[in-house]
Amino acid sequence: MKKSLRWGAIVAAATVTTLALAACGSSGGSSTDGKSIKVVIAEYSKDHTKKFWDEFAKTYEKQTGVELKLQVISWNDIDQQTSTMVQNNNAPDILNLNAYASYAADGLLYDSSEVLPAATKADIIPAFVKSGTYKGKFYGFPDLSSARALFYNTDLFSKAGIAAAPTTWDEFVADAKKVEALGDGTVGYALPLGPEEAQAEFAIWLFNNGGDFKQDGKWTLNSAANIKTLEFLRDLNVKDKVTQNNPGSTNRTDGAFSLFEQGKAGMVVGFSPLQQALADEHPDVKYAIAPMPSGDGAEPQTYGVTDYLMAFKKDGNKDAVKAFYKLYYQADQINKWIKSEGFLPVTTSGLKEFADDPDLKVYLDTLPNIHLTPTDDPEWDKIKLTIQQNIGLAVGDNGDPKKFLDDLQAQAEANK
Amino acid sequence: MSTLTEPTHAARNTALLKGRRRTGWKAARRWVMPLGGLGVILFFLWPYLVMLFDALRPSGEVLATPPTFFPKTWTADAFAQVVTDPAFHNWLRSSLVVAVAATVIVIVVAIPAAYFTARFSFRGRMVFLGLVVVTQMFAPTSLVVGLYREFYDLGLINTYAALILTDAAFNIAFALWILQGFFSAIPKDIEEAAALDGCSRVGTLFRVMLPLTLPGIVTAITFTFIAAWNEYVVALTLIQDDALKPLTVGISSYVTAYQQNWSQLFAASLIAIVPVVILFALIEKHLVGGLTAGAVK
Amino acid sequence: MTVRSEPVVRRRRRERGTASVVEALLWLGPALILIIGVVLYPAITLVATSFSSYSITGLRKGDAGITNYTTFLTSPDLPKVVGNTAIWVAAVVVITIILSLGLAQFLSKEFFGRRFVRWAVIVPWAAALVISSQLFRLILDYYHGILNQVLLNLHIIPQPIDWLGDPHFTLPSMIAVGIFVTIPFTAYLFVAGLNGIPGDVYEAARIDGGSPWQIYRAITLPLLRPTLLIAVVLNMIYVFNSFPVIWILNGSNPGFGNDTLITYMYKLAFRSAQHDVGLSAAAGVFNVLLILIAVAVYLRFVNWREGSKNA
Repeated sequence: MKKSLRWGAIVAAATVTTLALAACGSSGGSSTDGKSIKVVIAEYSKDHTKKFWDEFAKTYEKQTGVELKLQVISWNDIDQQTSTMVQNNNAPDILNLNAYASYAADGLLYDSSEVLPAATKADIIPAFVKSGTYKGKFYGFPDLSSARALFYNTDLFSKAGIAAAPTTWDEFVADAKKVEALGDGTVGYALPLGPEEAQAEFAIWLFNNGGDFKQDGKWTLNSAANIKTLEFLRDLNVKDKVTQNNPGSTNRTDGAFSLFEQGKAGMVVGFSPLQQALADEHPDVKYAIAPMPSGDGAEPQTYGVTDYLMAFKKDGNKDAVKAFYKLYYQADQINKWIKSEGFLPVTTSGLKEFADDPDLKVYLDTLPNIHLTPTDDPEWDKIKLTIQQNIGLAVGDNGDPKKFLDDLQAQAEANK
Repeated sequence: MSTLTEPTHAARNTALLKGRRRTGWKAARRWVMPLGGLGVILFFLWPYLVMLFDALRPSGEVLATPPTFFPKTWTADAFAQVVTDPAFHNWLRSSLVVAVAATVIVIVVAIPAAYFTARFSFRGRMVFLGLVVVTQMFAPTSLVVGLYREFYDLGLINTYAALILTDAAFNIAFALWILQGFFSAIPKDIEEAAALDGCSRVGTLFRVMLPLTLPGIVTAITFTFIAAWNEYVVALTLIQDDALKPLTVGISSYVTAYQQNWSQLFAASLIAIVPVVILFALIEKHLVGGLTAGAVK
Repeated sequence: MTVRSEPVVRRRRRERGTASVVEALLWLGPALILIIGVVLYPAITLVATSFSSYSITGLRKGDAGITNYTTFLTSPDLPKVVGNTAIWVAAVVVITIILSLGLAQFLSKEFFGRRFVRWAVIVPWAAALVISSQLFRLILDYYHGILNQVLLNLHIIPQPIDWLGDPHFTLPSMIAVGIFVTIPFTAYLFVAGLNGIPGDVYEAARIDGGSPWQIYRAITLPLLRPTLLIAVVLNMIYVFNSFPVIWILNGSNPGFGNDTLITYMYKLAFRSAQHDVGLSAAAGVFNVLLILIAVAVYLRFVNWREGSKNA
């Protein structure tokens, strides 16, 4: 007994020594010397993201004399990496992410009055300013945007005898059934409700049925309209059988989009990267883009997304951060990047610059009136995760749309 | 089971019969075994054959519905793009540096520890062995945050050193256990004979014991190299510069949310397998060896 | 027949010299420093995290006592996840061991082309697990997968099977892939172990006239016991902690119905409504304790059988 005790003591002593040594070089919290800033960017594409930001870093360093340490992280990993940095009090100075409100709620960010030129704020499309504003302050500065629309395969449509894209949900189901009837593994509508971006697919349908996630500051997740929408999606799978196999387990990139790219799906909700992929690798697929069909007879609603470039408060980095935004929002910087990645602008001046691109016209017209998810509410960050993770179960054979939305509403209200 | 007795007439007949049967099997053996070998090769390689064909077709064809085994359009573009990509060269170099260094450290550190633990009793021996196994039980994903903090405090974030030390530490347990088993199995007489011949403890280790544990060393080298070569989440967290990223992290950038290049992903992955197979091919003959009848004499 | 060889070997193994702690530290020092330095510190961080309360962003808000543990242990998804993990570990380890023993025998025999077979067997081990998982995800896909295509063409199945999305097939598919990628490592463990068995033992057995199967059961397996022990324990640990196979193959499925404890732990931190790293750390500690107990139980079970054999 004594022997193992003594051995245990030696091990413990070694541990304490190690900890002491490790604590020696301890990070003194979040402060910088103003000589460098750390910028974390999400990897939109292998070919364009790093290329632009390396050049940007050089320009920035020449202009300001401050070193720009760049880290490009894949979208799959950026959440975990960011969390690791924040847990260790080592957040970056600039972070590119698809959410910001929770960071603002934790008091971690600079707001626009501190780091954004007033002219820039005036130039950003108002819908994006609104969605980036938390508790009256603008924290979530948009880096680029995208909008969704209905893509349909014109070859399959003419084969199925459909003259034009559907404008109502009833027409939509009828058209999907006609395409499905073509056989040979053809799918009427490719519906991605897997964990990747299910909230986006759900959003665009519910916006077009008169519903919303939040209305007048209150959560309306389980409104009658939303329940009808989810039931509609479930019926597409279970009753009408016009979707691909198992929509609850289908993601966009290797599921719904790839079916459309192979010419096997009549319709899909897509955005500009899909256009690029079709142009680059599947030029034989003939398609067109139309506004979403409406469930309640109102004007078609477009769903859009922006990602954010937020700035973390640290002693001594304000000037460097200010210079960063001043440079980034210059038309020749931001629009250059957006163009290379194939996305949409976030500034009114950018809208003018992109106006002569015929491929993007269908989105640009709708951009000022775009409908966004409630990213300005930190609770949305959690609701979004629940939708992504679980909505697929609600549209399966044993799915219960009403219960899913009721539970979701309860989750949102519980954390008020 | 028959017992050892004086060969009787009957027993001699049985032996002869057995011998004749063995000759029959021995003849068949010459082609049955290689045929079985072919089966084994196909069993383990068929998915990678699929990967090879996916790398030899345009990226858009990889997700074809319905899929075809052989490419409809043959193209070596993916391989060409990967091989000429300077980023890929960086990743390859990083992986080589980290994996080789980690393997060397593990072997150098584990051999004395394994030898000593196998041969000697000392206070805390079981604690030591237990500690070694327990450290294997932590999933790297759980430890990543703490590792980040530790190396940040030591100023080693974004260096090869951090990755090498981590890979080495994670794999010592395996090397230690397997080498310990091999050292234990060597009969004492060999060591005593060497001591009689005038070898020091260290000398015995090098000249007599090590050659006998070669299969264990080969296994440890293979295991550590592969583990370091394929490590992902720690490399992702500790390395920030693109120039220092190893292959595992770099290759994942071929398929992003918005731009997918499957054929390049697979081409790069296939190329990444080659150094490991080369290393293994060089050392696998030493998997045979160890104790033979001759050594004891 | 076996009376001659076993006691001799065992007697040889039991002899061990004694040494002082100081000498031990000299020989074991570097290994100790590396292990304690690199693994222990993060392990302590993990435990500290599990007792803290975190915001969704990763910002530490304060102490949490044992709240994370109670929340984790009372989650409604936990029983299914634990069940999945048990099946996953048991199936993969047992089947892999059995198949690897056979493969190791095969790889130890001399025959033409053995070198190429050995190289081929190393490939699934040499390939990164993430890549192999991606590959199998494509192969098993409902629409893009070559497996469905081949089975349909051979008229083995009338309709494509949703190998990854259909709950009946998800876990078996993951287990099959898990076995495939684990066999090479285990087989080579056994090859090394088999080569450690002195040749004269086989000679003696052959002279005594036992059948190959009898020799295997009475001589090879007992002498492989130490290697078998390492193989089982290490595989239990590695398969339990295996992340990429489950994560990628189950990656498109909603809910937690096919997760093991490792992927569930990750989801708790980054993909669930809680998005709570403190909760995830509690899960992490739970996982370590669970596998520790499992291994301890296994070792005790094995020793007990050894002990009763000697009696």
